Parts: sequence; C-alpha cells; structure tokens
Amino acid sequence: TEWNVSVWGKRRAFTEHVEKLAELVSEKTGGEFTMNVSYGGLSKNRENLDGISIGAFEMAQFCAGYHRDKNPTITVLELPFLGVNTLEEEVAVSHAVYAHPAAQADLARWNAKLLMTSPMPQYNIVGTGEPRDTLAKMDGMRVRATGGIGNAFKAVGAVPTSVTATEAYQAMESGVVDTVAFAQHAHLSFRTIDQAEWWTANLNPGTVNCPVVVNVDAYEALSDDHRAALDSSVDEAIAHYLENYGALLKKWDGVLEEKGVQKVMIDEAELAKFREIAADPIREQWIADMSAQGLPAQELYDLVMDTLKKQRM
Amino acid sequence: MATGASVLENDSLLSRLDQNLYRIERFLALISGLAVFAIMVFAVVSVSGRNALNAPVPGYVDWIEQLMPLIAFMGIAYTQRDGTHIRMDILIGRLSGRALWAAEFITTLAALILMILLVWGSWSHFQRSFDFAAPWWSRDSSIDIALPLWPAKLLVPVAFSILCLRFALQLWGYGRAFVLGLSEPVAIPLIKSAAQQAADEAAILEDTNGERG
Amino acid sequence: MEPIEIGLIVSGVMVLFVVLGMRVAFAAGMAGLLGLIWIFWAKKGYDPEDFGWALTVAVKTAGQVPHSKVSSQALSLIPTFILIGYLAYYAGLTKALFEASKKWVGWLPGGLAVSTVFATAGFAAVSGASVATSAVFARIAIPEMLKIGYDKRFAAGVVAAGGTLASLIPPSAILVIYAIIVEQDVGKLLLAGFIPGAFSALIYGLLIVTLAMTLPKFGPPVRGFTWGERFRALPPAMPIFFVVFIIIFFIYNPFGGDAWGTPTEGGALGAFVVFLMAVWKGMRWRQFRDALLETAKLAVMIFTIIWGVLIYVRFLGFADLPGAFSDFITGLDQSPMLTLVMILLAYAVLGMFMDAIGMLLLTLPVVYPAVMALNGGEFVSAADSTFGMSGPMCAIWFGILVVKMAEFCLITPPIGLNCFVVAGVRDDLSVQDVFKGVTPFFIADAITIALLVAFPAIVLWLPSLA
Ligand code: NA
Ligand code: NA
Repeated sequence: TEWNVSVWGKRRAFTEHVEKLAELVSEKTGGEFTMNVSYGGLSKNRENLDGISIGAFEMAQFCAGYHRDKNPTITVLELPFLGVNTLEEEVAVSHAVYAHPAAQADLARWNAKLLMTSPMPQYNIVGTGEPRDTLAKMDGMRVRATGGIGNAFKAVGAVPTSVTATEAYQAMESGVVDTVAFAQHAHLSFRTIDQAEWWTANLNPGTVNCPVVVNVDAYEALSDDHRAALDSSVDEAIAHYLENYGALLKKWDGVLEEKGVQKVMIDEAELAKFREIAADPIREQWIADMSAQGLPAQELYDLVMDTLKKQRM
Repeated sequence: MATGASVLENDSLLSRLDQNLYRIERFLALISGLAVFAIMVFAVVSVSGRNALNAPVPGYVDWIEQLMPLIAFMGIAYTQRDGTHIRMDILIGRLSGRALWAAEFITTLAALILMILLVWGSWSHFQRSFDFAAPWWSRDSSIDIALPLWPAKLLVPVAFSILCLRFALQLWGYGRAFVLGLSEPVAIPLIKSAAQQAADEAAILEDTNGERG
Repeated sequence: MEPIEIGLIVSGVMVLFVVLGMRVAFAAGMAGLLGLIWIFWAKKGYDPEDFGWALTVAVKTAGQVPHSKVSSQALSLIPTFILIGYLAYYAGLTKALFEASKKWVGWLPGGLAVSTVFATAGFAAVSGASVATSAVFARIAIPEMLKIGYDKRFAAGVVAAGGTLASLIPPSAILVIYAIIVEQDVGKLLLAGFIPGAFSALIYGLLIVTLAMTLPKFGPPVRGFTWGERFRALPPAMPIFFVVFIIIFFIYNPFGGDAWGTPTEGGALGAFVVFLMAVWKGMRWRQFRDALLETAKLAVMIFTIIWGVLIYVRFLGFADLPGAFSDFITGLDQSPMLTLVMILLAYAVLGMFMDAIGMLLLTLPVVYPAVMALNGGEFVSAADSTFGMSGPMCAIWFGILVVKMAEFCLITPPIGLNCFVVAGVRDDLSVQDVFKGVTPFFIADAITIALLVAFPAIVLWLPSLA
C-alpha cells in the first residue's frame, strides 16, 4: 500500500510528526505500507480537506482556522486565552476534542478521520518600536493575526490586518502591520523575527489547531496489520514532534539574544484585564453561534477545561 | 500562436445564435473589466484608510480573493469567441478546406469534453462549500473574516457552462464547414495570416485609443 | 507503469494537441486531466470496475484548480498592470515621453533611434506588456524616423526591440507570473527587473550609436533644441516618474525608511493615478469601456492559461515528474554553469515557437526546481551554493534570465510577436522587413544575457538592499 500525504511549505518542526509516522509505519510493515509526503504538490493547504473528501490522497494536514465553516467543532481549540501553557497540554486538549463524537461527525462530512494533532505553542507577537506591553498601548496597533486571536486583539482596540504568512515579513517592513502573531517556528521561517525589536514572552493569547486526518475509506481498506502499524505509531510520532519542537524552543532564547530582540513580560494585572475583555465575550459568542447550529458547544468547551485540569493533576 | 480572429455573420440560425450568445459574453466580459477597476479602487481605499485613518479595510485580502474569479472567469467565452486564447498555428495555418475544418473540429471537440468534465468538477467544488442548513449557506469560509466562499466558487461552473455553449456552437460551425466544404463559414473564428492579424490588432488600438496628447 | 513514464506520455499528448492548434490553456488542462485519470486508475491496478472511481476523483481534483489557483491576491497585480498600460494611451503619456526623449538625446549619432529606445524604456515603467508597447511606438516613432531618412526596416526593428523592455522594467505581468509559479517575493523580483531593464536599454542605445557611427547613410542626429524646449518637454512626461516612484516606494524605500505598502497596492495606486490623468485628458465612458474590455480579454487569456497549466502541474505533482527531472539535472556529469547555459539555450529554441507566458508556465514547474537543486537547494546559503548566491537570490536571478530569454523570443523568427505587431501597424512594412531590421538587436540581447549570467550582481544588487 502506498499513501499520498498532502502537507505544505517545506519540511520543518511543524511536519516532523508526519515524517516520523511515515518512517515508523514503513519500518513496522517491512516496507509494505509506505507514505509519500508531498509538500504542496497535491493540493493547496486550504483545500486539503476537499482532497481528503474526494479521495485524491489518503492523509493530510490542515489548520482549523483556515476555514471555520468547514470544521466548526474543532475551532473551540482556537478560542483565545484557553490557558494552555505547554505543548503537552495542547496535545491533551486536542486529542480529547478529536475523540468527541461531535468533532468526529463534523469531520466525517469530509470523509475524514482525525488521527493526531500538530501541537503549536501560543502565538506571541513580535513588533517594532516601543513594546506594546499594556492594553492601552495595543490600542490602534495594526496586528497580523487571524481567527480567534485576531478577534481578541480587536476587542482591546487593535486593528487585525489581513496579510498572508508569506507576506508577513514584507508587511512588517513596509509598516502595513506593526506586529505579527505567530508561533516561534513561524517567526523563524517567515523571518518576522529579523524585523522584530521585541517579542512578548507571556501574552499567550491562543494558538491555531492543525490536525492530521486520514481518508475514512482508505483507512478502512487497510489490512489489520497495516492499520495496527499506523495506529500504534501515532504516540511515538507525537513524542518525536514534542522532542524536536522542544529543542527549537530551547534555542529560542539564544535566537532572541543573537538578533537583539527584547523579551517582553506583561504584567499579570494587564493580562487579567485582557482576558476579561477578550476571552469571555468571544467565548460566549462562539458558544451561542455554535449552539445555534445545533453543536454541543458548551460541552466541547467544558471538555477542554476538564482535560486541562486533569492534565495538570 | 494566434491572438484575435474575425467571425463572419449572416442571418442563418447558427449565426443568429452566435450573435445572441456574443451579446451575453460581451456583457460578462465587461463585468470582468469592471472587477479589475474595482480591485484598483479598493486598493486605493485600503491604502488611504490605513494611512490616513489607521483603519484598514477589514479582510482586504479576503475580499480581493473573492473578486479574482470575477476577473478570471466571466470573460472566458468572450475570449474564445474572438479567438484570443493563444495557440500555435504554425501547422494549422498551413491547412485549408476540409483538412483545416477537420483539425479544428477535433481540437474543439476535445476542448468541449474537457470543459464539460470541468463543469462537473468545479460544480462539485462549489457543492462542498455550500450547505442549505448552515448560516449563510456556507460550509467553507475565508481565512480572515470568514466570508462564505460558495458565491465565488459558483461562478466557475456558470462561466464554464457558457464556454461549453460557445464550444458547441463552434463545433456546429466547423462540422457544417467540413460537410459542406465551405471556405468562409459563419460563427467560427477564421484564421488570419500573422500579418493580417497584427494589422487588425493595430487597427483596434487605433480606433479605441485614438492616441492623444 | 511508473508515474514518471505516465508523466512523459501525457506531456507528449499535450505537445501533440498544442501543435494541432488546440488553445494552449485547454490542451494543458486536458493533458493534466488525462494524466490524473491515468494515475488514479493505475493505483487501482487498472481494474475496469474502478475506472469510474478514477474518473470521478480526477475530475473533482482538476475541478478544484481553477477557483483555487485564481483566488490569489498576488495575481491581482496582473490585471492592474495591464489596465495601467491601456489607460496610459488616453493619458497622452506615450507622445509626451517620445518628445522629451527626442529633445534630450536626439543629438547623439542615431539620435532618433536612441530616443525611441529610451522612450520605450520610460513607457515600460507604466506598461506591463511588451506587445502593447511596440504597437504604440510603431505609430509614433517610425514615421518620424522615416521622415529624416532612416532605413524603414531598421526603424521598425528599433520599435520591436524597444517593446521588449516593458517586461523587465516593472510593472511587468510576466515577472509577477514567474514569482507566483515559483512562490517567491513578487516585490523583490519586480525590483530586480529595474537595472537589467535599464541595462538592456543602454546596450540597445550603445549598439545604435555604434551602428550610426560606422554605417554610411544612417539617419542624421536631430539637433537644435534649446534648453528651454528641453525643460518644457519634461512636465508632460512627469506622471511616468510619479507612477514609477509610487511603485518603487511601495516595494522598497530607497531612503532607508519603511516602504509604503505592498506591490499589489503600489500597482493599483499607479493605475489609479494614470486613470485620473486619462479622465482629465478627456477619456469618456466609451473609451474607458473599451479599455476595460481589452484588459479583461488579455487578463482572462492569461488566467485561463494559468489554471489550465496548473491542472497539468497538479498532475505532475502526483506523478512527481519535477523531482525526477531535478534528480536528472543534478546528476549530470558536467559543470553546473554549462547546464544552466544549456537550459537558457533550450528556452531560446522553445521561444521561437511559443509565446512567452505559455512557455514559462509549461516549463517552470519542472525546470525551476532543477535549477534550484543545481544551486544547492531552495534554502542554501550563498557560501555553500554552486553559483555563489543564496536560494532566494538564485530564484530572482534565474527569473530575470528566463524573462529576458522570453523577451528575446518576442523578436526572433519565425514567431516573434512584437515584429508581427509592428508590421501590422505599418502598411509599408512586411514581417520579413521587421525581422531583418531587428537582427542587430539579437547581438545586443546576446551580450546583455551573457553579462547577466557572468555578473549576477547586475540583477541582485537592488533586491539585496530591500
Ligand atoms: Na513594464
Ligand atoms: Na520567437
């Protein structure tokens, strides 16, 4: 069996678990079940779910925020200020939501089965000029942030501005935006860190959720051995991802120092105010909207909170 | 490689159908052109909004992405009617009579089959983004301000269907020319010599622009 | 059958249909769809029962491509760049440029021809398309050259060659297309075109001066303009510089501060300024409507090729042909520079028979990764690379080289579109005349390309500042 896997960009920390999974599955089946990982050759990233639904390829990665209407249930994981602090916690909450019947039914509309997540750290912002370390200073700030995080910044008077990730560097250079919200690896690969004078270390406004899914028919057509090889490799692939990303995060402080980027800590009181203004109303709005569509929104949100609590015990 | 061609007209049924379709095609192409102008105006509004008022147009990129299909697809049949879609006529330019009509018939038939299949494929792309049960009927939305994508996706099969009509008319035209052995049939773009064609293009420029200054 | 063999066969079918006269966009789309059906069916071992499945999956995969690939903000530059060119006629910019150029450099040997080259270079700064530039100047510049005794063939050649500058000097539709296919920064590519474009114009100018000094019976210089006349000729041409400034400042601020926005916004703002000028100069709805229709026609033609070819490219992605070709190129047992030169020569041959956009779209998905691999990969640093430049810089360098090749092809027989257009504008000139007159410029272009290959800094200096 050969599977085609559609991801995008270049090979990076964000795709290491997919590469690892391919390696493990091939090893365990003696080369009988292989995965051919394609970086953008098979589909546009925002259409990976379409490709899965058609059956053009068997496995794919995408982010929930690329298309909220395609996958409303898992956007719960992109709500601002969920309070997720580590990649391990991100894995735990993601997999808990993926296991919920509502999320599974949501993705089943695309003939997709949620396999694993691609845990991303919190989207902290880089910027130029004086650090925006209070809510007052964020008023009028032009920030490149999408989805729930964008809404959070809007709630405190900032101006979310549409710029694609690849254009972010130039947008910052040209002053189209003055701050950009990304995870660390993206600040590195889209070079926004080269423009930056400061980086917020503890704003932690939220992150995006990017699952890896498989086509249900292809999954069910696997022989029992092959399916077992795939299922049993997920945890190991995630562990590899965490280790790899962890090394990157360790390097991060060194990168900041080397590039002369100031590490900005925001006062706990300011953060509390931010959460109050942004997190609560956006969450309530989300729950109301999703419930109106007949989705168990409150239940999904509670599931995230409970999982987080359990994870910390 | 040819751009531009002339289409003969008379009052036969085929030619009347051709001329009526042409009117629709031209109107749609004008929408394409207006969409180009809209993108220009929109960028100006966005730049001034950002610099003068610190108020960029929310979801600027999303809106541009919704406008692009208008530009790219609305004029597609108009462009085919005029023979503007480029091709190599190094071989076909040497053919004449039935051999020419046969070659044109074959490639037009192939293009018609392709476009019928793409109407199906692009319709299914639209269908995946459309859901009567969802708010705004939307099952796929833009990244920044969550605009429903189905209207832009619907444009594709609509424009392609009109192109299929155009191909069908041209197929009729070529078939008729082949069967009757015509030399100057109606309703199909006639190949011109490169020089003739360039002269016509220049004449268009002259008419429409009337270089001033 | 191996996917790569399927890839080669399907590519052969495409070439066959293109030669048969099928429109390039549809031939590419058809080949791509056929290839997809084949690949999916092969995956099921050609079981007749699975043919329906393969057809459905292939059609749905191909059916995504038109909307998916066209809905891109970066592509919106193409129609705006085309619109600027059309509006510039109504704004009277063409004539103004030629008059100013004549008064300033007409005194040189071969002065009127040199003026024509510089005026086309100036017009290139508002026009994104080569053919349009040649068409306008054929009407303005050729009569004046004939009046003072230039050989008509040479006069036509100057205009045909001058038109090619429009695609190097930004705005340039074809540079945007290149940037999008290879996923590189549009702004830097546009910026990179400036110096090679100006450089080409300079080489053309030098060639003309040399010819005028060596050949007898060349047209005389035009002298006798006062400084007052020279300066009075400048203001009408000024809007060109204004547009150039806008576009430059939106890509990169030469004075070290922030740029003013993105290239997309710069292009749109430039078009808007030219639009206002045209309205001020008396453009009315009828003319505006015609400009919009002509813009739409050209834009639709380009977009149709783009999505048609991208269906084919989607199939190539499933067949992994680009990967195989780049393995082949990097495995060649010869100097990488020789391989690069051979690739450029192949473009020269291909360009004899194809138009520029179609040629780039069809070949780049396969050739570009190979060239990048030759240099040491997309993310290679300058120190570790073959050609002494980082991955992104190599992408820019190769882009300018390829576009220059494509422009070269606009003036070479048998299919040299610029020459056709010039012959079309002038009743007294045949296509053969124009091809004859443009021949000296092959030498100029060959020199330019050789210098760009030998001294990449000509291309890379400006973008490396940004
Ligand atoms: Na230009
Ligand atoms: Na040529």
